[in-house]
Amino acid sequence: MLAPSFLILVASGLYIHKPSRVWGFRSMDSARKAHFIAQYFFGFYFLARAYYAVVTRDYRKIFPGVKDIIALPKFVAYELFLKKKKPKYPRYNPGQKLLYSQMALLFPLQIITGAVLYLTGKLQKLSRFFGGLNNVRLAHYLTTVGLSSMVAGHIYFALTDSVEKLKSIFTGYFKPK
Amino acid sequence: MISRNKFSRVFQKHGSHSGVTARLGTSLLSKGKRNRLPVIWLGTNTCAGDSISLLNSLDPGYRAIISDLIDLRYYHFGMPAEGDKSTGVLEDTLAERPGEYVLIVEGTIPTRSNGLYCVIGNRRGKPFTALDAVQELGAAARYVVAVGTCASFGGPYAAHPNPSDGKAVHKVLDRQVINVPGCPAHPDWIVGTLAHLVWYGEPELDEYNRPTLFYGETIHNLCQRRHYFDSGIFSAHPGEPWCMYKAGCKGPVTFADCPYRQWNGEHLNWPVKANTPCIGCVSPEFPDHTEPFFEHLPDIHLPQVTVNANRVGAVTGVLTAIGIGGHLVASIIKGRLPKTLKKGFSPAKPGIEILQTTPAQILVDSIKKMLKKKR
Ligand code: SF4
Repeated sequence: MLAPSFLILVASGLYIHKPSRVWGFRSMDSARKAHFIAQYFFGFYFLARAYYAVVTRDYRKIFPGVKDIIALPKFVAYELFLKKKKPKYPRYNPGQKLLYSQMALLFPLQIITGAVLYLTGKLQKLSRFFGGLNNVRLAHYLTTVGLSSMVAGHIYFALTDSVEKLKSIFTGYFKPK
Repeated sequence: MISRNKFSRVFQKHGSHSGVTARLGTSLLSKGKRNRLPVIWLGTNTCAGDSISLLNSLDPGYRAIISDLIDLRYYHFGMPAEGDKSTGVLEDTLAERPGEYVLIVEGTIPTRSNGLYCVIGNRRGKPFTALDAVQELGAAARYVVAVGTCASFGGPYAAHPNPSDGKAVHKVLDRQVINVPGCPAHPDWIVGTLAHLVWYGEPELDEYNRPTLFYGETIHNLCQRRHYFDSGIFSAHPGEPWCMYKAGCKGPVTFADCPYRQWNGEHLNWPVKANTPCIGCVSPEFPDHTEPFFEHLPDIHLPQVTVNANRVGAVTGVLTAIGIGGHLVASIIKGRLPKTLKKGFSPAKPGIEILQTTPAQILVDSIKKMLKKKR
């Protein structure tokens, strides 16, 4: 759910940033509608995921700890093809943890800046925190750039790691082979 | 005297036509004559654009403003007095009418070298800096109004590299300052705020202390070209008659009523109507963080370098593509990817099949279980 809505958000967001048909939208109206619907899916799913992480204390598996930092050189060596044997990790490898923890911080920032840009008047107090709406726009754009690059890396590594994991990003179901 | 609500309605809805005085009733101004507030208009580091804007007020005109609405005691731009005679007025007002007068400041307050980058006159043989004047007069004023974006937020006179360390009025005063930004501020915004202060006291302010009467809605929501925006019909360059969004219009992130108030004395025109984008001159980030004016996003200012936001996006995209592409090629050459794909597309082995559901599903299942137990 997160992945397809994220992709729609990026495409419609890029249209809103720089209107052009290459993003797959015919008008600002359609791009904004798509952005709006996708952000609801994204927002609610993200909140559910965050709730789950807190309730089940799953967040401890997402944020990297000292062990992960120690294990990082081995992981990097494998990904840079300097080592042949794939190191084993209980659930997420240190690279995934770094990626997820950054996502966990950037997604809320994106939701907040998006809300401020939509409710310009009602959330003026929040825009003050950024120094004004122009800065909010910039923060929203730069976060999109960062997140898109991370999500691209996430999908790629899932593909090269296992096809099932890649499928799970879009379907939500994971069947280990 | 008309009610405060009616005043707001007249100034908001009929600001696009001249004749505001007529609508308010000609007697209104003279009725307030007895209560004319003493006003000091200080010019600090400024281009004097707001002073000229005030002189451009058409209805009420400048003469009606100073004879019927306010008691303008000091006005750097329009007074014939000079030297001790003029600075003496400041000291007299401070001594005779403390807590009664309105201090209007136009321009930034330079703070470097104890404020010596702006001296408004001499006092007892020593330079009387704008910093001292604003702090002394501001502390005893009934209201302090910052007119123009420089006085309100820093604006062009505090823009990078800001050699005089110019600051907005609220940054040098420890009290409420009403901001009436604009580069320059519209005559109606200045006169309307003053009229509100004279007749009804402090107007409703937004988070940036701007009167919502004039800054309560985004330009974009009031714009006559909004339908072009929604339909995706954009001007590629200034000078074309469509929505200016692609030419960098800051209307969606700028709060002001320019589209219906309009400018040029007779309320004739405004930037978008003249086929140029709004540059967001009433915003707190103007101009450092609204530049380049003809681009959608502002530049990113890092120490020693300024980077274009679009370039950051493009470079990040290229680096990501190079990183992924490089890893992919290496993965194929080393045989890692073919192995993974082979494993991925081979038919599933019969036997144990573990179905791991999404976290949300697990959550829903556990809630269902809990409910069942309770029943
Ligand atoms: S011209 Fe500017 S303010 Fe008007 S609709 Fe287009 S983007 Fe909005």
